Amino acid sequence: MLAKRIQPMVFQARRLYVELMFQVMGRALQAVSEVDEKVQNEARALPDGFLFEMMVMPDGSKLIVEHTGQGRFRYHGDKAPRPIDLSIQFKHIAHAFLVLSFQEKTSVAFANDRMLVDGDISYAVRMTRVLNRLESFILPKMVAERAVKEYPADLHLPEKLISAARIYLKVATNFVETVRA
Amino acid sequence: MTNKYYEFFCPVKVIAGKAALEHIPYELTGMAAKRPMIVTDKGVRAAGLLEPVIAACEESGLEITTIYDDVPPDSSTTVVRDIAGIYRQEKCDSIIAVGGGSAIDTGKAVNILVSEGGDDIAKYSGAGVLKHPLKPFFVVPTTAGTGSEVTSVAVITDEAKGVKLPFTSSFLLPNAAIIDPRMTLTLPPHITAATAMDAMTHATEAFTCMAKNPLSDAYATAAIKKISHSLLNVMDNPKDSDGRLELAQASTMAGIAFSNSMVGLVHALGHATGAICHLPHGLCMSLYLPYALEYNLETIREPLGELLLYLEGPEVFAATPASRRAEASISAIRKLRDALYKRCQLPRTLKETGKVTEDQLDHIAEMALDDGSIMFNPKEVTLEDARAVLRRAWA
Repeated sequence: MLAKRIQPMVFQARRLYVELMFQVMGRALQAVSEVDEKVQNEARALPDGFLFEMMVMPDGSKLIVEHTGQGRFRYHGDKAPRPIDLSIQFKHIAHAFLVLSFQEKTSVAFANDRMLVDGDISYAVRMTRVLNRLESFILPKMVAERAVKEYPADLHLPEKLISAARIYLKVATNFVETVRA
Repeated sequence: MTNKYYEFFCPVKVIAGKAALEHIPYELTGMAAKRPMIVTDKGVRAAGLLEPVIAACEESGLEITTIYDDVPPDSSTTVVRDIAGIYRQEKCDSIIAVGGGSAIDTGKAVNILVSEGGDDIAKYSGAGVLKHPLKPFFVVPTTAGTGSEVTSVAVITDEAKGVKLPFTSSFLLPNAAIIDPRMTLTLPPHITAATAMDAMTHATEAFTCMAKNPLSDAYATAAIKKISHSLLNVMDNPKDSDGRLELAQASTMAGIAFSNSMVGLVHALGHATGAICHLPHGLCMSLYLPYALEYNLETIREPLGELLLYLEGPEVFAATPASRRAEASISAIRKLRDALYKRCQLPRTLKETGKVTEDQLDHIAEMALDDGSIMFNPKEVTLEDARAVLRRAWA
């Protein structure tokens, strides 16, 4: 009985968590592309104006970023200015929650058919590497190891801490700017 | 409770064995199809492989309405459009693809156009675009390797844009795959070897990569056992129809396995090598398989060790300490490649192919890193890792 009463609140909390994580990740993608050379090199292979979306099917939370050129991303929130070029879609919000709460690695979610790719698969592979790199920076190593296939051996603590601080600062600044706007 | 989850899907009716072709008329009639079109290539026709298919249909009073026999090795959007035009003109109602990967992929793409309408196949490119079942579609494979008869994917080249268009939908799966040993009896030795190693790679990667699951494991191990038992016998006795049937079934089983659990680094490197150096796919698979397994070894030690049972049999498996079985599996694959090299000079290294230069390795590594298969490799592959595997595979 109690479980039945609590269930809608659990669902609501899960939806809010996924929405918040998308907002953080979108801003963090923009930030990491301003901070990390490896991410910039990965992103440079994408066409300028390339729009990437991560979303929950059928019409749930989403994040949209654009490659603006020179390896830089710009976060567009959940509104795309043009048709999307590459979309990674979670089949259900429960699957998005598993990945965004680091209970399931992104690569495992792909292997488990939790997500669909709509667009050029080679760009999806590239964006997955970018997401892995981002998660390696912004998450504590113990958590990051649950999120990525392999924690990068060449990412040492000083670089991680400095980059993470810069990314979080940029994310926070972006949040504040959005609220003010 | 673990997070383990998987999906498995294969609705293809497999019709396999002696006189399997003679089941085509019954199966077509069962789907109310009366005017089938055959899609094939010149090589298949020249080898006389169409005759038993046509005879089997005519004997049952089913006329083949038209035959398109000019599918190129790399099928294009133009070819697909032309064949769809002929299909409509001749008022066909079903398709029988007879051939290897290219003829089968072309048949799948033609089926999209004639079922969905229009002339622009590019419009249907991507995953999940198709929403309805297509026209009756049968496949008669003439090689034992690609497994395309049980996969839901087709790749067609868009010549104008110079890109390969992927099509993915469960509606692309054929209604039936007809596996008849007569269709592979005349396969030349080097193609027999390369295509069988293609199937071996499908099964091995299906069993060791990230999306492995209990059902695909069963198909993968059965396929490996059949190939290990039959391949060298068939190489020594090409007219051994029982052995040919074993290889053809193994190819289909490996196809079912990998289409449900995907592949990994061997395919990523193979796709890149094929695109840059124009080497046949099966050859690339045979070439890279042991090197990629060695690279992945520590992450796949347990499943790879299990494969020794199917590669070498119970005596060798029992006599090998559990801690050495993974290495022994790689040795068994190397031994098989050496035996194939002795019989038909199937290259074991990039240098032996004579078609790859050392300065192409970096380009291959870069392209492999963007291949979709790499996502399912159990180990995260960096550019330096891919280069290292290629250097080992060089000579």
